[in-house]
Amino acid sequence: MKRNVLLNSMITLAVGLAIGITIGWVLWPVEYTNTPPQLLRQDYRDDYVIMVAETYSVEQDLGLAADRLDLIAPGEPQRPVIELANRLIDAGENTAVLTALAELARDLGVDNEAIRLHLGEAE
Amino acid sequence: MNPRFWRWVVPSLGLVLGLALGLVYSWVINPVQLINTYPGLLRSDYRHDWIRLAALSYVADDDLGKAQARLASIESDDIIPALETLIEDFAVVGHTAETMRKLTTLAKSLGANTPAMFVYAPTARDTPTTQPTVASTQSATPTPMPTTTPSPSPMPTNTPPTPTQKPQVTATSEITYQSVIPSPSLTISPTNTPSLPTATPTPILTFQMVEKEQICDFATSPPHIEVLVQDEDEEPLDGIQIWLIWDDGADRAITGLKPDLGSGYADFQMDSDLTYGLGVGELGQLLVTRLRPEPCPDQDADTPPIGSWRIVFQLGLVQTE
Repeated sequence: MKRNVLLNSMITLAVGLAIGITIGWVLWPVEYTNTPPQLLRQDYRDDYVIMVAETYSVEQDLGLAADRLDLIAPGEPQRPVIELANRLIDAGENTAVLTALAELARDLGVDNEAIRLHLGEAE
Repeated sequence: MNPRFWRWVVPSLGLVLGLALGLVYSWVINPVQLINTYPGLLRSDYRHDWIRLAALSYVADDDLGKAQARLASIESDDIIPALETLIEDFAVVGHTAETMRKLTTLAKSLGANTPAMFVYAPTARDTPTTQPTVASTQSATPTPMPTTTPSPSPMPTNTPPTPTQKPQVTATSEITYQSVIPSPSLTISPTNTPSLPTATPTPILTFQMVEKEQICDFATSPPHIEVLVQDEDEEPLDGIQIWLIWDDGADRAITGLKPDLGSGYADFQMDSDLTYGLGVGELGQLLVTRLRPEPCPDQDADTPPIGSWRIVFQLGLVQTE
């Protein structure tokens, strides 16, 4: 008798656990509504970096641009700019966007041949 | 103990306990991780910054479709106030007309409407009566014009240039209000319809000063000039140019750029060494002269503090020329 009760309890505990996890992961998962830019999907993150670069060309506020980039690459704001610029160069993308990225990268202290080339400063 | 207790209650308790543990695990200990979110899920301050970025990128790349796509995942309830704030901030700080025009274009395409936009998007207040289309002109009530036949514009038009093409230029406050908006494109005649006869009266707004009061509320220091512009019914009137003129300079403000202080409100800082004049409207009609900072009366101090001025202008008769 007691053995059966113990077995039934274990089974129902496991069933309850499974139902609870199904509810928590599938039916009503935690909803995120206050996410940081770091969690944006890759294409949105790319767009974010482009917008930061283009906005920098309008506002000319390097500190603000760096702060914005810091949200998706903490501590190394120039990294997403360089990565995106390299990808766009490989894809043969819009030169206006590349120029904005190159200007921002240069002003963030990046100095390489590709940047200078896009800014018409190559030696 | 009752055997039924052991047979049903204990397993039921196990089920409830398992359910609770499962929820705690899946909601708290190891919740679903989101790594591919979209702008609409950003925290409010990041979301507003996204809107700002999209707008300023539009200023840079002039691609309206792209800007709208970037904002597509965000509720318009978020977008419109953010754009309105951006435009008003930019108008106050003073950015190029081209920048303001582009921001206004984007904001207008998304349904925003703020006084600062009137300066850069004169059609922001247009109503169908001021933008006669081919259809509207065909259905317009014939209005005999006492002057010559309008000359056709260089643009092709679907309707013959007859006097019935005259837009509904009436004395409504909407149209007369627009006449003060300072833009060359404010002509009421659309480009694809015959031009108006030259004798068409152009409404001109005139204002008069109805109140001049010294403000001695020193919480609002430094000394400044507050201007309130009202229509005939003493309702605040936004989008009106106010000119502050002094010996070797001038400044301009537009009413309504500080909506929290009233849509007919504009203000200027005062320099204690200068004497000012105030002009109103497109023509800069000078209505106040020799306005200078003056100490407030009835103050106990040896050097009484300087007060501010509140000037109220009211729309007067509409003249035509």
